[in-house]
Amino acid sequence: MMAKRPLVSVVDDDESVRESLPDLLRELGYSVRAFSSAEEFLASDCVGETRCLILDIAMPSMTGPDLQQELTARGQEIPIVFITAQADETVRPRSLEQGAVECLFKPFSDTALFEALNAAFRVS
Amino acid sequence: MPGFQGAQGRDHTGREAGLNVNRRIRHEVADGGGSSERHIGLLPPRHGESSNSSAAEDRAATWVGLGIAEISAVVGGLIRQGSPLPVVLTTLCELFDATVKGYSSSVLLLDCTGARVRSAVGSGLPVSYMKQLEGKRVSWIETPFGATINAKTPVIVLDPVSDTLREGQEAAPAAAPGLRLHEVSPILSLTGEPLGIFAVYQRESNPDVTCCHSALIPQFTHVASAAIERMRSDEAFKRSAALLERTQQLSSTCCFSWRVETDEISWSKGLCQLFEIDPANVPVTLELIGARIHSEDRPSFHEMIERAKSGVSDFEFEHRLRLPDNAVKYLRVVAHGTRDQEGQLEYIGAVQDVTHRRHTEEALAKLRAELARAARVTSLGVLTAAIAHEVNQPLAGIVTNASTCRRMLAADPPDVEGARETARRTIRDAERASQIVKRLRALFCKKGATSEPLDLNEATREVVALSLSELERNKVIVRTELAGELPPVQGDRVQLQQVILNLFLNASDAMSGIDDRSRQLVIRTERDGGNRVRLSVRDTGVGFEPQGVDRLFDAFYTTKSGGMGIGLSVSRCIIESHKGRLWATPNEGPGATFSFSIPCGPQDVTAALTGARSLGAIGTSAVTNAEGRHVRSL
Repeated sequence: MMAKRPLVSVVDDDESVRESLPDLLRELGYSVRAFSSAEEFLASDCVGETRCLILDIAMPSMTGPDLQQELTARGQEIPIVFITAQADETVRPRSLEQGAVECLFKPFSDTALFEALNAAFRVS
Repeated sequence: MPGFQGAQGRDHTGREAGLNVNRRIRHEVADGGGSSERHIGLLPPRHGESSNSSAAEDRAATWVGLGIAEISAVVGGLIRQGSPLPVVLTTLCELFDATVKGYSSSVLLLDCTGARVRSAVGSGLPVSYMKQLEGKRVSWIETPFGATINAKTPVIVLDPVSDTLREGQEAAPAAAPGLRLHEVSPILSLTGEPLGIFAVYQRESNPDVTCCHSALIPQFTHVASAAIERMRSDEAFKRSAALLERTQQLSSTCCFSWRVETDEISWSKGLCQLFEIDPANVPVTLELIGARIHSEDRPSFHEMIERAKSGVSDFEFEHRLRLPDNAVKYLRVVAHGTRDQEGQLEYIGAVQDVTHRRHTEEALAKLRAELARAARVTSLGVLTAAIAHEVNQPLAGIVTNASTCRRMLAADPPDVEGARETARRTIRDAERASQIVKRLRALFCKKGATSEPLDLNEATREVVALSLSELERNKVIVRTELAGELPPVQGDRVQLQQVILNLFLNASDAMSGIDDRSRQLVIRTERDGGNRVRLSVRDTGVGFEPQGVDRLFDAFYTTKSGGMGIGLSVSRCIIESHKGRLWATPNEGPGATFSFSIPCGPQDVTAALTGARSLGAIGTSAVTNAEGRHVRSL
């Protein structure tokens, strides 16, 4: 039963996001794994299984866009929903341009997240 | 002793026989057939030793027949007039010569140790003879001079030839031709210290060698003693007064005394000048002083006066003066209270003009505030983004948790345990956000940056000066290697100094735990290519991992327990706004080097800099450690 739930991976260096977002995603009916860095995600066994990636933009060392590039380079086309705490209006169009499904500014509502996920799954 | 004997019937100071001798002198003078004409009063002051014998004789003629009381009055008058001691003593000799016919007198004034003849006066003796005596030691013990000082008693000379010259001794000069040393008397102070010698010579033309005049000699000796002592104490007083005045000038200090019961106030000259009061026109009173006190300080001044009146033993007070021309001075008053034998309270105090110091302090405080403001202003741009980022993180947690919570409660059956957990996390994240806002609130401020041509070396030196005490306290050895000729750069002086200061303090912090090697901080400026200037700050601290180099400049990235991680990110922002670059490199040895490179100003800036430099030098001179810490906490 659990295996049928699509896997959403969360990559964020902020702990409160890593704590709260998985619970919400589970409530929305997804299976969830959370990672504190891009490196950790890449090293995990979830890369191939992940149907949607919720990815923080600004992270120390490897950033969200860095991971996006790395996945592209590896041929792993995972729909990405960027999340960011940086209230910079230029970030969203740039992200969409570079292939992201959505870019959400923290804090975002559950509806906005739900819609973004729906969009991501439409893509996939 | 051969050849001379002590004069009989006199005490050694020649003072005690006062009235008795006085009567005898009058008698003697009358016997000598002197005129009954008496001249009492002040003589015109005379200067130098007289060599004009006729003038001396004229004067002497008017003195014939004076009694010792009048003679004392004449000498006293001269002293009061402020005549120099040689003049007073010469006059005394002239008075003696005029009173005692056939004799000439001289006074040998001894130096303060009593060991040497300082000067010799006496108008009836040749100047050349007097000159010979000057500087001679008194220790010609075998001579009458030495004997009289040694024995502290008058000596009558019986055989002048053998008495005045001895083989192998430092000779007392022989008396002048036609003069024969008759008697010498020590001039002693009240405490018996030798002040001089009163010497009486008999004119050889005078066959009368009776000793009837001896009675007069102690009187003259007494007057001479009083004159010398008076002059010496005057001199000592003047010297100490001059010393006091000079010391007061040097320390910008004035003094006063205040007798509380009677309100008698005595002020030093300097204090009158300070208060711009002319004590000749108006007496110094508490009301007058109060009127000069700055109106804002007057209540505390009065309060202090009341306290002082109640008998507090000491007081210390700082207040301002408002002078008639509206100028303001800062004074520091320290006074010590004493009670005299009748229990009357008197304060003796010192007043120091601390205006200059206070102005410097005020300028400093202003600068400090300016620097602090600049520190906040410059970080604003970076801060806005950083604050948003930092606050949005917990906000995201809050919203997500709350959404989850609602969903859990809406489920059937409701997941109460899960909802409780998400609610707990919501509260925690909200508290985190509130902490962040609190930390950041202090940093909000006005904005504004200026651009001026400036000398980076000079700006660096100022920052070194202002942070030196902080660095030294952290046991950091500072070395500066500033390029000899550095082209000026264009920029905001305070902002760039902010960056330099931040690099210093970071370096200092990085070395704070280092104990196995010296904590060295090297500041270097140099040209960087053709049109750039580089400044680097090298430390021997903990350094950083090469892979961490990018994070160093991120806002809120910090390795310091007390830091917020804004300093370097603000610094980079400032340098970038100056079209420059800020970077860090690990040292080959221990520690790290932080450098920035900014373009030089336009060519015509060089000329303008000369003027700007002097202004800038006044502008920034120092800052307190408190502000240094503030800056660092960024």
